[in-house]
Amino acid sequence: MRFGLSTSRRSAGRRPERPIWEEPPTLAGQAGKILTIGFVLAVVIVPLYSVIITSFSTQESINIAGGMVIVPHGLTTAAYEQIFSNQLILHSMWVSLWITVIGTSISMVVTVMCAYGLSRSGTFGHRTILMTFIVTMFFSGGLIPSFLLVAALDGYGRYWSLILPSAISVFNILVMRAFFSNTAQELIEAARMDGAGDWRILWSIVLPTSKPVLAVIGLFYGVGYWNSFFNALLYLPDNGMWPMQMVIYTYTLQGSSMPGTGISNTGQYAGHQVIASLSIQMAVVTLTLIPIMVVYPFVQKHFTKGMLTGAIKG
Amino acid sequence: MAVITGDGAVTTPNKASDTPRSDQAVSPPARRKLTWREKLRRDRTMIIMTMPALILTLVFAYVPMFGAVTAFQRYSIYDGFWYSAWTGLENFTRLMTDPIFWSAFENTLVISAVQLVLYFPVPIILALMLNSIMSSKIRSFVQSIVYLPHFFSWVLVVTIFQEMLGGAGALNMFLRQHGWATWDIMTNPETFKYLVTAQAVWKEAGWGVIVFLAALAAIEPTLYEAASADGAGRWRRMWHITLPGMRGVIMLMLVLRLGNALTVGFEQMLIQRNAVGRDAAEVLDTFAYYYGVVNNNFSYGAAAGLFKGVLSLILILAANKLAHAFGEDGLYRK
Amino acid sequence: MTESSDSVVSRRHILTLLAAGAAMAAGGGMLAACGKRKDSDSGTTSQDKLKEILPAFVPNTSIKADIPSVTGANGAMSDPCFLKYPSSPVRTVTGAVGSGGSYVGMTPLWGAIPPSSGNAYYEAVNQAIGATLKMQPADGNTYDTQLPPLFAADKLPDWLQIPGWWASKLSLGQGVSKFTDLTPFLSGDKIKKYPNLAAIPQVAWACGVWNGKLYGIPCYSSAATFTGAIFYRKDIFAKKGINPAIKSIDELFNLGQALTDANAGVWAFDDLWTYLADPFGIPYKWAEQDGKIIHKYETEAMLEALAWQQKVVKAGLMHPDAVAGNTQNAKQRFWSGKVVISGDGTGSWNGDDWKSGTAANSDYFRQAFDPFTASGSGTPALTLGNAAGLFSYLSGKLSQEQVEECLAIANYLAAPYGSAEWLVANFGTEGVDYTMTDGNPVLTEQGNKEVATTFQFLASPSSATTVTSGAVDVAKAYAEWQAKAVKAAYKPLFYGMNITEPAQYGSIDQPVEDMLKDVRYGRKTLDDFKAVVVTWRTQGGDELRKVHEQVREENGTGQ
Repeated sequence: MRFGLSTSRRSAGRRPERPIWEEPPTLAGQAGKILTIGFVLAVVIVPLYSVIITSFSTQESINIAGGMVIVPHGLTTAAYEQIFSNQLILHSMWVSLWITVIGTSISMVVTVMCAYGLSRSGTFGHRTILMTFIVTMFFSGGLIPSFLLVAALDGYGRYWSLILPSAISVFNILVMRAFFSNTAQELIEAARMDGAGDWRILWSIVLPTSKPVLAVIGLFYGVGYWNSFFNALLYLPDNGMWPMQMVIYTYTLQGSSMPGTGISNTGQYAGHQVIASLSIQMAVVTLTLIPIMVVYPFVQKHFTKGMLTGAIKG
Repeated sequence: MAVITGDGAVTTPNKASDTPRSDQAVSPPARRKLTWREKLRRDRTMIIMTMPALILTLVFAYVPMFGAVTAFQRYSIYDGFWYSAWTGLENFTRLMTDPIFWSAFENTLVISAVQLVLYFPVPIILALMLNSIMSSKIRSFVQSIVYLPHFFSWVLVVTIFQEMLGGAGALNMFLRQHGWATWDIMTNPETFKYLVTAQAVWKEAGWGVIVFLAALAAIEPTLYEAASADGAGRWRRMWHITLPGMRGVIMLMLVLRLGNALTVGFEQMLIQRNAVGRDAAEVLDTFAYYYGVVNNNFSYGAAAGLFKGVLSLILILAANKLAHAFGEDGLYRK
Repeated sequence: MTESSDSVVSRRHILTLLAAGAAMAAGGGMLAACGKRKDSDSGTTSQDKLKEILPAFVPNTSIKADIPSVTGANGAMSDPCFLKYPSSPVRTVTGAVGSGGSYVGMTPLWGAIPPSSGNAYYEAVNQAIGATLKMQPADGNTYDTQLPPLFAADKLPDWLQIPGWWASKLSLGQGVSKFTDLTPFLSGDKIKKYPNLAAIPQVAWACGVWNGKLYGIPCYSSAATFTGAIFYRKDIFAKKGINPAIKSIDELFNLGQALTDANAGVWAFDDLWTYLADPFGIPYKWAEQDGKIIHKYETEAMLEALAWQQKVVKAGLMHPDAVAGNTQNAKQRFWSGKVVISGDGTGSWNGDDWKSGTAANSDYFRQAFDPFTASGSGTPALTLGNAAGLFSYLSGKLSQEQVEECLAIANYLAAPYGSAEWLVANFGTEGVDYTMTDGNPVLTEQGNKEVATTFQFLASPSSATTVTSGAVDVAKAYAEWQAKAVKAAYKPLFYGMNITEPAQYGSIDQPVEDMLKDVRYGRKTLDDFKAVVVTWRTQGGDELRKVHEQVREENGTGQ
């Protein structure tokens, strides 16, 4: 804006190079940074490694370690085989995928519109509407009224019950609203002078300049839908309709005794294949991580450093 | 981009948006106060845009809120909301005179304060640090690792801490085998608040970075270029460009955090309650759980929840006012 | 947000339950479970009335166990033990079972959920019962969260399992009004129409009685239900030449010192607290002392047990993870030998446990100490738990014909171990879901995917000790221990009785329970505990005592 459009950047992100304004790093600064980043990485990677290696461990390995495995004594994919042998799992992945795609789409459309609608202060009802949302962050009637409502709307046993009751997050609306409010107002004013309505401003100015926050909020919603199982637990009695998290979640209980009777549920069956419950639990954790690890790099692109916001290009 | 003038008043470019635009021909040079009708007409598109979210909220958040009446009842699922016995404020008076409740309240505030000081800045610092990594490959790699603990359950996080720092964990086995005194952090009630904060940092800081990265990405690179041309060094650029660029988001997060000051890691506390005892680990949410849910007293739990909700709402509004007093946006622009 | 935190609630709740697992097994929790009702009228069903209602008991005599049931003290009986499945299983059900009706059954399941369509096991059972029982297994961990909304919205299935330990949380005394009163169908001799149901002992039916009417069908009943046992690693004891014949708690402590080697990462004990109750003689809840009714908090035994546990923690004989309250890895610690002596529910003593344990150490063997007393004098006594903890209920919306069809199905599902029907109900079709290997049914690969504990949670026969994972020795050792344990069994005060405790005293135990934990791990002193018990008395403990004294006067103590 004030500094004009004189960006001399070459095609973005080609080589790991320093922007021209950045001075060469000092030795001490560099060393400090490397040490800190190294430490941060280590404290995350070691447990992560342990989780993954435990998921591939035999019961022998786990017994030798007495818990989470660091040094494996024999690897096996038995835990994964056990989970994927379940006939519900493939269908449940489809369910999860669809719920996530449709849910995230609905949430994003609703959130973007709402955030834009609230992005200008002083508009009619601005504060009242904002307060209406904020109040819901702190009050809820609890489980039973929500269930009664969904049941009354005939949502019990239907897929929409996984999406609509949790379609909007006030937190996400507030974050997106904050970003929208910071969109270069000169551009918006200019567009308005040209006779553009709010829908067009949103579509052709605000959205193109807001890719980072769209990516972040999309990620939040997507992860939320993919990982949630509580609504399925409440509203979907038919196991055949369950999303994947719900199906794999039940594996973490494998081999645990039923409380109360002391009857080990797997123990009912002679020769029932028994796999270390710990390795299954860790396999479930690992399975939870995989989709996000696959998706994250694509999302991340939209909020990496030095991205041209596009506003300048118009 | 708000420009703060000396007296704390905020002049924002978007003030211009107050200009009626539907009839620009008559746009007066001197602004007069609009009647609500005019405002409604001017802003109707904006209002229509909020409608889908508003309707969802009214239906799925406000309608079930009538369930909060249970706080004034002795609720039973078989009698329902209409036929359960009304008890007036009994649940609340009991709550206010319950020393265990107040001890939980105090714990909540203390842990929240510790987390505000020791946890809140971490994602911001981490975001700045990530941003300062020049190699995009390394940066992407680090970024795509640090957020992963967010997907671990609290049970797993506590287990991991136990395996590392517990009495039979890696660190203490090492100390013990070398004949040194062991370090008893996992079961020490005194240092529990720091332990839970460390766990929260480990689990959530990497995920918390993401919002700040988005804020950083929204800063114009040209600003840096120009500042550099003016001779501003690394730290000056951070102070004058980076931080102001993130300020809106930081303030929003801070206000939201204060609004949630009464909510501290329910599951985390529940899991470690046995390790350090109730005196250290009982927070409002665990209190509502033990004295409400577990002991089959929905209404008492609902009363505790309602009390917490009211306080939280007051807190977030106060935090927002405070932000405005400092000339910041907070939840919304003043 | 609400949703997720609620899920957390219940998940944690069950983890706690799993932790206390065996505590509940004793029917410890059962008394409270059956007991707390909100009804203000006749809380307790008197013994005379109970006798009128309860179904007749007609034991099955056609199947002979390899190690027959042993009759113990006070009505306790060890489970019959089978080392092989009878080669020519008898038929216990003749003629058509169902009449083509279709029902939805909902049960908790602790484990992977089997596929609902194309499931050969489901189909085999449905074919055998001549009706369609559409099973909807639900996550057992959060079952207590799922039920209240179903009650509130009136969305209950036709046939529903409710574990007894959640009965008080669900105020089942009120909730049973939504179910069919089975008294007209089953009480007295009427049950003889359903011989397999009649073979379930009366003590198991007793807890299915609410407000003087029979509602619940017991599942997995057993007349040898105990809190659990203190287990030790028999292989490690043998290797070290240690004699496992413990005579007193001091001997156990000495063992602890001999076995602990912290530098090597080995500790003698896990958290034994729950399992110390029987050696020290801590009553289940209430006890009689010199004619006065006292609560377990007020007993000397409680103080002694606390002091002992404190001593163990202070001496560093308990695994640090156990001190840190980590229960979910307790089995892992025992399997790996990092803990040598651990308490657990008796259900953990089975072939699957043996298989897991032997994965790293082929000698692994779990063995329970014989009952002993802390002082070393007197005769050991084990608290007898309620004979059934799981009950299924039929919807009150079913017609009389439908109820009768469901009961006929229940009769089929309750066919005893050793019968032809049991194989179908538990394993499906031979050659498809299971094969006979070494005389025992073993699930095929398909069976592993399809078979889960589902129908059994609607109705099942009394428990039998059987060989799992081919571990014949484990089954024998368990049967042997059970035979000793039943001889030491005693009925706790108010055994199997439904007692209404005034709701306002529901949470007075919580501060005491929290204090117990603080004292156990040495964070607080015995004096702190005594002080909190004084508060407990004034807050309602004394009132509760009066309630129970009145019950004793009017209805006896269930002995």
